[in-house]
Amino acid sequence: MSARREDRGTVSGGFGATLKGLATVFRQVFRADVTEEYPRRIQPPPPRSHIGRHRLNRHEDGLEKCIGCELCAFACPADAIWVVGADNDPEHPVSPGERYAKDYQINYLRCIMCGMCVEACPTRALTLTSAYEMSFLTREDAILTKDQLLEPPAPLGTAPGTEEG
Amino acid sequence: MSVEPEPVTLTIDGKEVTVPTGTLVIRAAEQLGIEIPRFCDHPFLDPVGACRQCYVEIEGQRKLFTACTTEVAAGMVVHTQNTSELAHEGQVANLEFLLINHPLDCPICDRGGECPLQDQTMAFGPGESRYIEPKRVYRKPIPLSPLVLLDRERCVLCARCTRFCDQISGDRFIEMFARGAGQQVAIAAGEDFRSPFSGNTIQICPVGALTASTYRFVARPFDVHVADGICGHCSAGCNVRVDVRRGEVVRVLARDNAEVNDAWICDKGRFAFRAADGPGRVTTPLIRERGLEPASFDEVLGRVAEWSRGARVAFLTGGRLADEDAFALSKLARVAFGTNDLDHRRAFHGGLAEELEAASALRVTYRDVERAGAILVVGLDAEQEVPILHLRIRKAARRGARVFVVHSRETRLSDVAEHLLCRPGQEGAVLERLIEGGAAGSDEERVARALRTAEGAVVLAGSLLAEHPLATDVALRLSRRLGAGFALVPRRAGDRGALRAGVHPALLPGGRRLAVASERAEVEAVWGELRSSEPGRNGREILEACARREIDVLFLVGVDPLRDVPDAALARRALENVPVKVVQSLELGELEPYADAFLPAAALHEREGHLTTWEGRSQRTRPVRAPAGLSRPDWEIFAGLAEAVGAPLGFGSVEELREEMEALLAPREVSERPTAWVGAGVPQWLDEVTLFTYPLLVDEGRLSEGASELKAALEEPAFVEVHPEDAERLHLADGGWARVRTGAGEATLPVRVSSRVAQGSVFVPFNQPGLEANRLLSGRFTAAATLEAVPGGGEGARGGEGIAGPEAKT
Ligand code: SF4
Ligand code: SF4
Ligand code: SF4
Ligand code: SF4
Ligand code: FES
Repeated sequence: MSARREDRGTVSGGFGATLKGLATVFRQVFRADVTEEYPRRIQPPPPRSHIGRHRLNRHEDGLEKCIGCELCAFACPADAIWVVGADNDPEHPVSPGERYAKDYQINYLRCIMCGMCVEACPTRALTLTSAYEMSFLTREDAILTKDQLLEPPAPLGTAPGTEEG
Repeated sequence: MSVEPEPVTLTIDGKEVTVPTGTLVIRAAEQLGIEIPRFCDHPFLDPVGACRQCYVEIEGQRKLFTACTTEVAAGMVVHTQNTSELAHEGQVANLEFLLINHPLDCPICDRGGECPLQDQTMAFGPGESRYIEPKRVYRKPIPLSPLVLLDRERCVLCARCTRFCDQISGDRFIEMFARGAGQQVAIAAGEDFRSPFSGNTIQICPVGALTASTYRFVARPFDVHVADGICGHCSAGCNVRVDVRRGEVVRVLARDNAEVNDAWICDKGRFAFRAADGPGRVTTPLIRERGLEPASFDEVLGRVAEWSRGARVAFLTGGRLADEDAFALSKLARVAFGTNDLDHRRAFHGGLAEELEAASALRVTYRDVERAGAILVVGLDAEQEVPILHLRIRKAARRGARVFVVHSRETRLSDVAEHLLCRPGQEGAVLERLIEGGAAGSDEERVARALRTAEGAVVLAGSLLAEHPLATDVALRLSRRLGAGFALVPRRAGDRGALRAGVHPALLPGGRRLAVASERAEVEAVWGELRSSEPGRNGREILEACARREIDVLFLVGVDPLRDVPDAALARRALENVPVKVVQSLELGELEPYADAFLPAAALHEREGHLTTWEGRSQRTRPVRAPAGLSRPDWEIFAGLAEAVGAPLGFGSVEELREEMEALLAPREVSERPTAWVGAGVPQWLDEVTLFTYPLLVDEGRLSEGASELKAALEEPAFVEVHPEDAERLHLADGGWARVRTGAGEATLPVRVSSRVAQGSVFVPFNQPGLEANRLLSGRFTAAATLEAVPGGGEGARGGEGIAGPEAKT
């Protein structure tokens, strides 16, 4: 702290730093633009990126992987997840085993995309997708229900505020 | 009873502690705040050393010791896992061993998040398991009853559940079977875990092996709001914790309180928690215009005040008012309306005993019962009426107390107590003989001697004693003669509080007699002059006056006389004739066609308040959620009404209300008066039998609404219980049908022939599916009855389905 204050005090030190800063700005003028024209032009995110909305996955036989254990809700630092467990009907099970999620909701007004829930999930039922468009017109729209989370997310460019949205 | 044990001093982890001889090392460590992991140890159960988790090292001993079975010795030097590598290794090894066969069920297990096995593995156990072989598998949960599910894979064989059944409830339905890896908790084939205390095993199971069907997959510990409450189902006053998820009660647990419920509650307290969330709940004030229409509180209170101005007003309450409500009502009736026509009782003991109970508190406590040398239970079926008192009596018996029961029906104390069965109404006569010492050579003589010679005897009198005038006072006199403690044990949670507060036609708060000027003056000093010093009408007389149109406005506070009063016909006549009926409750139910105004009350877990146990202990209960809809605590409604009639009660907050209560409810001495027993009025029996009734624990009561699992497990359909000799005389067969006739009505019921019931009397439960027994009663809980066999009704008699609707004729 004190050393820097002395720095600033000397004329030569201050002037050198100013020149260095101006040079950085000058070089930047000739660089290629990295700003994207979102939402007019939408770049696909890198493959395997986990930067967007959650998805609830199914086993190959169609059963839901989610067992309604609430561990994701427990892990969530933003209290964004609501799970209600219930008993599977052995004749028509929703998931393997005894327990399934009767209700499952994620509130995207709360979610901070930290991924803790995904780490907590013991069955890999919950993963993040690359659907990063998180704009909604109403509070209700921002709370995704289990049916919605089980479906793949809508393609990019369809959320409110984008051209198709 | 016994001499205080010698203190001994020992060292645990380098700290000295002095405890009484006989203390277990694990308890001594607790006193120092040192936690030793444990599964089978439970402070209210005898030690077994089944789980081997609590290993500690004791200096000078070659092997590790289990802290939960080892008694302290002077100079002992103990090292727990904190200071002994050996103890730590032993505990880690044991946890790894316990986990060998434990399934990876946590995500689907109801215990997950609050599981001692999870927690202690995290705190004291190995990080990883070396076990890769297949685990033992069993069929996933098998229901032990409609309430309790057993998942044997998860069991750590700690025997807490089986010891509870053995040592505490005495209902031995579950046992440990087999040995080694195949050892498991099991129930006899075809049996149900039919104990009214079964839920406690779920709570003390240190893993998720026993779970509650009502809580299956319902919530996790982090998504419930909890509050410390008091159970409102009976006068035991169990300390409970109420869990609410998204505004709905999802679970009730016992809280430990060694002064009251130890660590237990009954299944009704645990599983009957849906009544306030049921479809019948009404949470808006209603007023009758064309029909019952919603209105604001002010509007309804205004109209009620208008109707009551200058009118003849009476108040009936049920047994579920909190102490504050009862006190506010006692003041409202007397100060704002100038009436003494108010009553909370179903059983009219009267006399000195009642006055004593109203005036004082804690004259006999759970501790006194527990430590008593002899206990005499009269007119009380403790298991069914005040279940936790039943457990305390059993605890006393285990410690060596002699227990005697004078009742018309054998109770579940039968394995630890001696019963003197008598016809209902005869209890007073039996007690009188006990006072005199009993005829030479008779049972009574033996019992009288046992009571006289015991150290610290206690007499517990139940509501059935009120069936005979003065019988309660005879019980009191007997206790005086024995130098024993005496308690009137009411059934309902609000009874004792209402009696203390003076919701009574002749007693003011603190048991002060209205008719005695000096006692009245003590109340007037706080409340101002009372308009009337004439004792009012009791509950029954209020209804009679209503039926004669001598009352204009009847307030029904948390009571449904059609169901609660032992005279259904009178209740109906009263409701039909009294011009204005104001209902204040959680729901309208059958009163809907009668109510002129409805005031929605808050449920017990929605408000602040106190409830008084049968001992007179006033315990605070806290809200776990806000009152539903527009409902309010009863006392607030009373205060609003007082304001509307222009006579404010003078308290705007619970604190102010409590201040006034404390002034008037401090325990008082009651002057001794001789009690008279006239011996007259003992009913004379001819050929007929005496029918008697009291409510069973799990019945059709409104607080059990929605408790379908509890009812599936424990509710019995209506029946009539007959002594074998009477059955023979009346040609009744077990499993057959009988037409029961009394002066009030008749009903056809399945017959149970059993020597559990006294000869000459028949028992019908008060409110089981198939019969509201008050249709057979005319004001008392006993009635002269005739029984005749109904031929051909035999099939399916026990099934419940087959019950022909009781043809009650009024
Ligand atoms: S990503 Fe983070 S904030 Fe969002 S739901 Fe999962 S745990 Fe909660
Ligand atoms: S998503 Fe995973 S963690 Fe969440 S409830 Fe389902 S199984 Fe459990
Ligand atoms: S069921 Fe639970 S309480 Fe009973 S022995 Fe097993 S682990 Fe212990
Ligand atoms: S014994 Fe009484 S107070 Fe205790 S839980 Fe049962 S009903 Fe409630
Ligand atoms: S707690 Fe000591 S052996 Fe189980």
